[in-house]
Amino acid sequence: MSIADLSAVAAPRAERMSSLGAALRQLARQPRVWVGGGILLVVAVLAIFARWIAPHDPLDQDLLHMLAPPLWAADGSMEFPLGTDGLGRCVLSRAIYGARVALTVAVAAAFGSMLLGSALALVGGYFGGLVDRLVTYVVDLWLSFPPVVLSLILLVGLGTGVDKVILAVVLVDWTRFCRVVRADVLLTRRRDFVLAAQLIGFGHLRTMLREVLPAVVPLMITLFSIEMGIAIVVEATLSFIGLSVPSDITTWGQMLADSRNDMQSAVWVMLVPVFCIITTVLACNLLGDGVRVALDPRLRQREG
Amino acid sequence: MFQIISAIVLRRLVLAIPTLLLLSLVVFFVLRILPADPLAMLLPASATPADAAALRQQLGFDKPIPQQFAIWLWAALNGNLGLSINFRQPVAHLMMAALPATLELTLTGLVLALVISIPGGVLAFVLYRRRRETAADLAVALMQSIPSFLWSLLLIVAFGVLWPVLPFSGRVDPDVTLPGLTGFALIDLLLTGQFRGWLGALSHLVLPALALALGFAPLVIRVLRSSLIEAASEPHVEVARLRGLSEGRILWRHILKNAALPTITLIGVQFGFLFGGALLVEMIFGYPGIGNLMVQAVKANDLPLIQGIALIFCVLMLSITIVVDVLYAVLNPRMRNL
Repeated sequence: MSIADLSAVAAPRAERMSSLGAALRQLARQPRVWVGGGILLVVAVLAIFARWIAPHDPLDQDLLHMLAPPLWAADGSMEFPLGTDGLGRCVLSRAIYGARVALTVAVAAAFGSMLLGSALALVGGYFGGLVDRLVTYVVDLWLSFPPVVLSLILLVGLGTGVDKVILAVVLVDWTRFCRVVRADVLLTRRRDFVLAAQLIGFGHLRTMLREVLPAVVPLMITLFSIEMGIAIVVEATLSFIGLSVPSDITTWGQMLADSRNDMQSAVWVMLVPVFCIITTVLACNLLGDGVRVALDPRLRQREG
Repeated sequence: MFQIISAIVLRRLVLAIPTLLLLSLVVFFVLRILPADPLAMLLPASATPADAAALRQQLGFDKPIPQQFAIWLWAALNGNLGLSINFRQPVAHLMMAALPATLELTLTGLVLALVISIPGGVLAFVLYRRRRETAADLAVALMQSIPSFLWSLLLIVAFGVLWPVLPFSGRVDPDVTLPGLTGFALIDLLLTGQFRGWLGALSHLVLPALALALGFAPLVIRVLRSSLIEAASEPHVEVARLRGLSEGRILWRHILKNAALPTITLIGVQFGFLFGGALLVEMIFGYPGIGNLMVQAVKANDLPLIQGIALIFCVLMLSITIVVDVLYAVLNPRMRNL
């Protein structure tokens, strides 16, 4: 085999470009990708343009309109489409503003865990040996804690705030990426094109980033999408307990905690944030599933 | 057989020692970088800086962190986990009182989750074979998007508020006191013959355990479904079919049996999910378990208590690993012949 042949195996760029197009076509054929992505897009638009879309300030307390009923109730009004909570705050506006924190945490925390987890997985899986054993040991160590307990302890140490919540999720959930991506890296490392790259003298870093990484990217996208859903649940959990953010920032978890006082008289105040969380998390899971089915060749074959 | 099991247990126990040490160390350091002062709420408003310093010294917070850790570790090895700042009671005492409640809740939740997910997983598998998987997939994806703490709230709304048939606060009826034999309400009340109290305790357990189970079931359904698909493609299944066995018999006797192992492994790995879910579920239902204790400790910056509970959770998780390893060895015929 000549050097030219080897480099053809090592960097099949044209093939990779066409495989990117093929991947996008596969993605577009998955209804789950469209539904999940569509819902997330709507939530993102609501979050970004909350100031113009929300009818009220989410913190405005209208003490004349406490627990106003929603639009579909007999005496509901257009002023508060989803009614008001126990302090007379507009539930719709709070739900829209709550999407901001949820999506910020979702994207930032998923990105952070992906970066940290995948980097360690790449290094461990690629080099093997002692490095790999060390990474695996730390992952196992982390996994001997229930994730919620670990994030609670981290938040006690770090203090509250959106940035702290993001950091806590990253420090807990990087193991999810690391475990799964490492297994994929171990498989990829033995493939012909990686060996060829090493033979024609690519450095370790270049081989890792240019040859191994692209092969595990589909998996990372799937995990990223699912991790967003997990991060949303963790943030809602923490702010439900009252640890996540100061009270002048509206979150879905906080809305849930507040609504428990009026559960007997105003169920819809609780059901709105419940619906928001479930819908957004479902969108993340659908998107993740869709990407997995579309980009995993083994699954694609099986699903016809 | 017995030799294999004791070898597994011994190996796991030896491995558990450095794990517990390292985890305690991690928790200890994370808690000591705390920005808030854990002593603030112990001191009266009139306290002088000298009072604060005296208290600090009394509780050992003035020493360097490595030395604090050494002191804590030595005491912990002697069974003394220190004094809770918030409750002013020994941490070990508080935890031992709360632990049975959590175990009762999580084990009931696990059983309910299996009751839901074994038929659920088989149904998902059957639907997959008939190429009707989309509906099943959607249902599982939806279930997976509802965490236990949202189930708790939804169940309270449904069976506590809209159709008030079940209690949703506490562990037993208000007029019942637990005898405190084993700490497990269902066992203690049965032993002392308080059947009305026993029914009360059971009705208190239904909603939180169901919330926990519904949050956990989709994970089990998913792995069971894919293990069933895997097991169905093994050659011996085709042999069974050629022998003329009925599809039902093949499914239950040949496929499900082989799909059990990966499912048990997953349950072991994901048990932390049950404990984590129990934390919120206990808080929402006012259920006096370890999770509820943890939430209170975290809110009050009660460092000794947080440290102790973290340790208990690690011990629980490591015990689960051992149980799963042993189950695996018992159920796996390949291991039996060793």
